[in-house]
Amino acid sequence: MLEIRNLYATVEGREILNGINLIIRPGETHAIMGPNGSGKSTLANVIAGRDGYVVTDGEIRFDGKNLLEMDPETRACEGLFLAFQYPVEIPGVANLYFLKAAVNAVRKYRGESSVDAMDFWDLVHERMELVKMDESMLKRSVNEGFSGGEKKRNEVFQMAVLQPRFAVLDETDSGLDIDALKVVADGVNALRSPERGFLVITHYQRLLDYIVPDYVHVLVNGRIARSGGKELAVELEQQGYALYNEEPGRARRAT
Amino acid sequence: MTAIAPLLSDPYRQTFDAFMAQRCEPGFISRLRHAAFARFEMIGWPTRRQEAWRFTDLDAVQALNLSCPSDALLDAAALPALETPTHRLVFVNGRLVPGLSSVRGLPERAMVAGFSQILPDHSAFIEPVFDSLPGLQSHPFAALNTAFWEDGAFIYLPRTAVIEQPIHLVFYATGGDMAIYPRLLLLLEERAQATVVVEYRGQGRALNAPLAELQLGEGATLHYHQVQEESPQAFHLGGIRVQQFRASQTQLHLFSSGGQLARTDLEVLLDGEQAGCLVNGLTLGQENQTGDYHLRIDHAQPHGTSEQVFKSVLDGESRSVFDGMIHVRKHAQKTDARQTSRNLLLSRHAQAHANPRLEILADDVKCGHGSSTGFLDPDAEFYLRARGIPRDQARALLVHAFAKDSLTRIALTPLRERLDQVLATRLALDSLEGN
Repeated sequence: MLEIRNLYATVEGREILNGINLIIRPGETHAIMGPNGSGKSTLANVIAGRDGYVVTDGEIRFDGKNLLEMDPETRACEGLFLAFQYPVEIPGVANLYFLKAAVNAVRKYRGESSVDAMDFWDLVHERMELVKMDESMLKRSVNEGFSGGEKKRNEVFQMAVLQPRFAVLDETDSGLDIDALKVVADGVNALRSPERGFLVITHYQRLLDYIVPDYVHVLVNGRIARSGGKELAVELEQQGYALYNEEPGRARRAT
Repeated sequence: MTAIAPLLSDPYRQTFDAFMAQRCEPGFISRLRHAAFARFEMIGWPTRRQEAWRFTDLDAVQALNLSCPSDALLDAAALPALETPTHRLVFVNGRLVPGLSSVRGLPERAMVAGFSQILPDHSAFIEPVFDSLPGLQSHPFAALNTAFWEDGAFIYLPRTAVIEQPIHLVFYATGGDMAIYPRLLLLLEERAQATVVVEYRGQGRALNAPLAELQLGEGATLHYHQVQEESPQAFHLGGIRVQQFRASQTQLHLFSSGGQLARTDLEVLLDGEQAGCLVNGLTLGQENQTGDYHLRIDHAQPHGTSEQVFKSVLDGESRSVFDGMIHVRKHAQKTDARQTSRNLLLSRHAQAHANPRLEILADDVKCGHGSSTGFLDPDAEFYLRARGIPRDQARALLVHAFAKDSLTRIALTPLRERLDQVLATRLALDSLEGN
């Protein structure tokens, strides 16, 4: 469902991604691990379509469609979701209002009518329980004054309400204690299905004890240096990334 | 009636004399007009070399060939609704239209009326209080207002009188390059309470130079709302002066979204201990609009509080000016005075000028001010878009989030909801239900 071919990208003129190839099929969960600065978050942001991330070569296809030609909202409406590493605080926009606007934007894109108020309320309540979120958070402004754990839970909650077909989790484990990590992982696991794909980006193997991936890729210097099964995560945890750091960066490409 | 220009015809004196020749009114009013016109002649037309007028471009006003107000018909459907029951006075081109006005069920001895209705009978009552408030003494348009005003609203509440329903004053201008000088005098005696909504509306091009005088006796409470939604060609150069005695409380909510140039000069004198004043301003600018506020809060007595909160949302080539002064006299210890101005620029060509000023002569006070101007947060915009919300809607949501706490401070629900709708319409948001 997601095909990344020979992807090169720069940020502020610096080359961060240097030829990534990755294919994720429906129902699969892939983990990307790698040291700081290896390009993990850049990959997440390129997939989501953030400004300032310039693709210089290669392509990303989402169900066969050219993802890179779409603006961020179109990608989301097509069923892509990014759980942010640093969820943004938006004072003055209530969480519930924001969610409803998002749900309706996706429905409109699909040619459906606005969501029924009662149905929406039922869905929200059901999904709140999934991530053990308190109802009071719905009325608060988006992420405003939320703790690190609450913000990450809110990301998974939004994902649960929006029900994307493919989700990228960008270091969703960072800053979480073990209890919060379990809650977040349970939320993600509950959404796993044969139709849905996940790309889980993390620095640590710990998250992968709870969200068990089908494949693990090691990202170094903007390239996938190694791929394997879930046991690769354990190996990395024991040996660290030192082995891979020796690999020299790829030569710059002419554009 | 031949059109005479009460302003800008050359020489001014002839215009004034012609105007006075038509007037038939109590002697004290004539004397005030003469004094005010003499004051205007002394002050002169403002120039941008004067600090207070540095950011106010009056060239376009000066170029107008302004005419005297004339009567015009107005369809009641053109009037903004507030709620019923309400006391309402409607002025078209500065003159009361009794057929569109309605006041009933006032407390004993209270008055809500047009000057044209009450001046003959109550002139002895009005004479000592009319044009008697301090402030705006060197303001040219306040002087012109006193010289040329024709009608306006008089509101009087005797001690402990409370009017529950809002008093709704609508000043409508029908354009035609008229110069209109509406007048308002509001007197609240001890512990009286009132809620007033003053709306400036209209079509076409006109100069609207209203002057409002608000006086609050001990322990009185006033919620005053000024809603300026004039036509995009209109010029608004208004003045408000406020005098507050001991423990009186005012909320002044100033909303501005109309006019090509809309300026309000406001002077508040906190003239008794524990007097408090909130000034809450929201300006929406687009195209080449200028929204311009000049405030002076004068703390003359101890234990006073004042808060100025001004926001502007500026698109196109619009500009906002916020010039806010907190003056604390030597005797006014334990004053708590705050001022913030926050401006959101939606275009690279919009400009916000903020000029916060403090003059503190007392030594035991809490005073603070802050000012910020910036663009929409691109991270927040991306966050919303990454959830499927289209770019324009995402930006509109963020603008609304920025502006809405100005509206949240308005306790008068029907007005707050209507202004929220004005904001939503300006932002092309379908619905803000639930936010």
